[in-house]
Amino acid sequence: MPDLSFVFAQSLSGLTAAMFLFLIAAGLSLIFGVLRVLNFAHGTFYMLGAYSAYQFVQWLGPGPGTFWVAALGAALAIAALGGVVERLLFRHLYGKEELYQLLFTYALVLILSDVAKIIWGTQQKSLSRPPGLTGSFSLFGATIPFYNLFILLLGPAIALAFWFVLQRTRMGRFIRAAALDRETLGALGVNVDALYMWVFVLASFLGGLGGALISPMRAIVPGMDTEVIVEAFVVVVIGGLGSFWGTFLGAIIYGQVLSFGILFFPRFSIFSVFALMAAVLIVRPWGLLGRPLR
Amino acid sequence: MQRRSFLVMAGATLAATPRIAYAQKPIKVGMPMPLSGPPALFGEPATKGALMFIEEINAKGGVLGRKLELLTRDSKADANEAVRVSRELILKENVDFLVGTLTSAEGPAVSVVAKENKIVFIAPIPKTDQLTAQDKLHPYVFRVAATTTMEGRSAAEIVAKWPVTRVGTIAFDYAYGQDVTRAFVEHIKKLKPSVQIVDQQWPKLGEQDYNPFINAQMAKKPEAVVSSIWGGFFVTFSKQARALGYFDAIKSNFIGLGEAGSPETTKAMGPDYPVGIWGNSYDAFYWDTASPAHRDYTARLAKFTKEEYPSSWAIQGYIGMQFLAEAIKKAGSTDSDKVAKALLGLTVETPVGPLTIREKDHQANRGQLYGKTVKDAQYPFPIMKPVTYVDPTRFMD
Amino acid sequence: MMRRVPWALLVFLAAFSVPALASRFYTFLANDVIIWALFATSLNLLVGYTGLVSFGHAAYFGIGAYTTGILMKKLGLPFLLAFPAAGVFAGACALVFGFFCVRLTRIYFAMLTLAFAQIVWAICFKWNEVTGGEQGMPEIPYPSFDWVDRVATILPFVGGYRTSDYYYFTSLILVGVCLWLLRRIVHSPFGRMLTTIRENAERAEFIGVNVRRYELAAFVLAGGFAGLAGGIFGIFNRGVFPDFAYWTKSSEVLIMTLLGGMGTFYGPAVGALVLLWLNQQIVSYTEYWPLVLGVILVLLLFVFPGGIVGALSDLWRRLDRRRRHA
Repeated sequence: MPDLSFVFAQSLSGLTAAMFLFLIAAGLSLIFGVLRVLNFAHGTFYMLGAYSAYQFVQWLGPGPGTFWVAALGAALAIAALGGVVERLLFRHLYGKEELYQLLFTYALVLILSDVAKIIWGTQQKSLSRPPGLTGSFSLFGATIPFYNLFILLLGPAIALAFWFVLQRTRMGRFIRAAALDRETLGALGVNVDALYMWVFVLASFLGGLGGALISPMRAIVPGMDTEVIVEAFVVVVIGGLGSFWGTFLGAIIYGQVLSFGILFFPRFSIFSVFALMAAVLIVRPWGLLGRPLR
Repeated sequence: MQRRSFLVMAGATLAATPRIAYAQKPIKVGMPMPLSGPPALFGEPATKGALMFIEEINAKGGVLGRKLELLTRDSKADANEAVRVSRELILKENVDFLVGTLTSAEGPAVSVVAKENKIVFIAPIPKTDQLTAQDKLHPYVFRVAATTTMEGRSAAEIVAKWPVTRVGTIAFDYAYGQDVTRAFVEHIKKLKPSVQIVDQQWPKLGEQDYNPFINAQMAKKPEAVVSSIWGGFFVTFSKQARALGYFDAIKSNFIGLGEAGSPETTKAMGPDYPVGIWGNSYDAFYWDTASPAHRDYTARLAKFTKEEYPSSWAIQGYIGMQFLAEAIKKAGSTDSDKVAKALLGLTVETPVGPLTIREKDHQANRGQLYGKTVKDAQYPFPIMKPVTYVDPTRFMD
Repeated sequence: MMRRVPWALLVFLAAFSVPALASRFYTFLANDVIIWALFATSLNLLVGYTGLVSFGHAAYFGIGAYTTGILMKKLGLPFLLAFPAAGVFAGACALVFGFFCVRLTRIYFAMLTLAFAQIVWAICFKWNEVTGGEQGMPEIPYPSFDWVDRVATILPFVGGYRTSDYYYFTSLILVGVCLWLLRRIVHSPFGRMLTTIRENAERAEFIGVNVRRYELAAFVLAGGFAGLAGGIFGIFNRGVFPDFAYWTKSSEVLIMTLLGGMGTFYGPAVGALVLLWLNQQIVSYTEYWPLVLGVILVLLLFVFPGGIVGALSDLWRRLDRRRRHA
């Protein structure tokens, strides 16, 4: 019987990983729910968010608030990038076949990851945790870093903020309506074009923010975009494409499966992501909280 | 750090060199290396090292009166792409030699192409034993990198001296990680039979979240750990591990193979680096007990790459080219068979000392630098000190 | 008049002259192109003709390559057996995976194909004993060409080539046969039904067509031919490696299909030719091939959605109309 503090520690690791993933997958889910497109480039926005945060920290120099300013700056920069991409390029593909939209997002991945390579090179970069959140405390025998605690609390906070926006604000109502029936919404006089752009901007903001906030706990290297996008796909598929709380739930489940999976199937973690995705798609394709799509 | 197109550089270099009337064509060397994706971390500096050697030797008049020309290609760390670009280099660009590849799949793949086209192929980075194994060996393949056997056994020698008996390992679950770990385990059991391997963790190659593995390993309470997690992944792993108190729990009795002690890694991590652990590296610009030749090489490298703290990977490209140039000189020709013969038993004075390619398996006795990391007032990042070159000749059977 | 010229046959016959007329390098490039042409055309059976976008087609390519590789290298079987086995085994796997995939539509279908493909990749990557793991199986033997000397006594022009050239001729014949078969399939009633399904699956259901069974059949055929392409490729590449099944290969072949034009039979083959040739040209100048490829892809999507063949046939039609009105 593994001891309780170990189980607690594993569980907590799983939750922290889940909250990181949720941050990234939320944007993906939003774009799919409203624009009906699976945005491959979302992982690249995440990577650019991390690189931008690194760059801002280099420019601003050391200081107490530097990290936070850099993270926010990075998220805003990526949001702006998303807006530009949507407005100039993506919107011309709306009427066309899904395949074209998907391939466009893939083309973005190719272009933007080479741009990142040109700007920042191939060498690994690293950001430290912001002063004030270094250090850890002990609970039930497990060591919990303060930064992890921050992420653990941030995840649900963002989920709740999202929920509030979607349920209680006018903008949120429009977003939900656009997800259900964009034509009628347009006929009712709402500027659906602008709405789409703002959805894309918001999703990109979240992606960039996720990248910036994760950089103290990971290396910033080429290739990080494709590694994360697959995990984000799985999370969204488990929860249900287009369902917001589904993404949250999917992230939590995925995190726990990874954490405890290595205890039961120690050398099969390479399969976890795809086996889980395949299992969900075979048994219940619309995910846990999604709507059966026809 | 500047981004450069390497072909532009090679071309500019040739253009800038004083024009003596060279009636002969240059000796072309193809260099397939990963220049994108995670292994680009190593591939790119290795290419620079090769370029520097070429620039230097061309300035002195080249080899056999002919200049050397390097043609680099991005192999994308994909064996199929490596084969494709190697064929293009050999058949279209008509290169005379190949120096390159990085991963354990690329090396053997290009080796087959080299064999069939009778082109001498020197591998400066792949560590897989398979490249020079008896059933895969042929007259045209050579390696100047360390092998997984050498790396694992060097680590065993170091760990055997620690006052520990409960040892854990953590490695990526693929050929490199499996082979290094196996070499370590076999050898340490011979050196110190009381050692028990209490835990082995196998994250998948490219893992981003090591927390579950770290927790699981800490639960088994090892006294020391041998890891072969490399490059950017080591940065990710150690940041997460340090936050969880992993290194404290094992009192920094940790050895990071896969070049976790390299200046690139300590520099990238800065204050986040778990100072006190052991690591290895192919080179270190701060190697204080080095020969004057090394100091000179380091100064030249710093100037060539315009980096204050030059890379530790450039040296592998440099050494690869050194062996090639020396072999051509010894053979007195660029004929593949003659150069291949000249490489057997060839000893070259490299910046890390004399290295010899032995006849038995075309393998050079390339050891690595090992040391315990400490904070040093001279540099804004930790360094290995004292840093020792571990001669692997006794590990090569 | 143009239509009656058997272009495909002429190209096929002309392709035999490559080793004699061009350098060794172009023979290899041609060999590469014809294999990928088959691979891309097999994918188009799914994407262009049936309307099913698969992100995991490379899985069958990889399965075919490994099958031939393992049978020839580890079990010493001759190419005559190992090659069809690649197609059969890949088709069988396509049957198993396809059964689950065709129950889904659109993005879900695509994602499940991706998931299965990555599982295949992971198996190839991990199963050291059988597939060689991450290091793959370098050096698959060429099929034996000793019999050519005997034939050369009767037909002298057959003799005197290198092994790699003979392999090129072999690939050319095999690919030619496979493409001919695929063309027959596409023009058959079965193929026409696939097109009907692509245009409106619901309508097809209404007229009593078992859409799922047709889709599964298309999936199996596409997988089988991809496996045959993989079988040829493993030997050509002088080694079989797990990245044959990785999703980046799937995306490459999908881009080829789109580049050439999904709407025609030979579009993907043209796409394979153009993409491989471009790749080869551009990597000699820059390491930023992904950037170039991305830009090309964007241009394609916005300006030439019909691909090269689509754009050319539009141009042809416009010129033709002008000629007729003149």
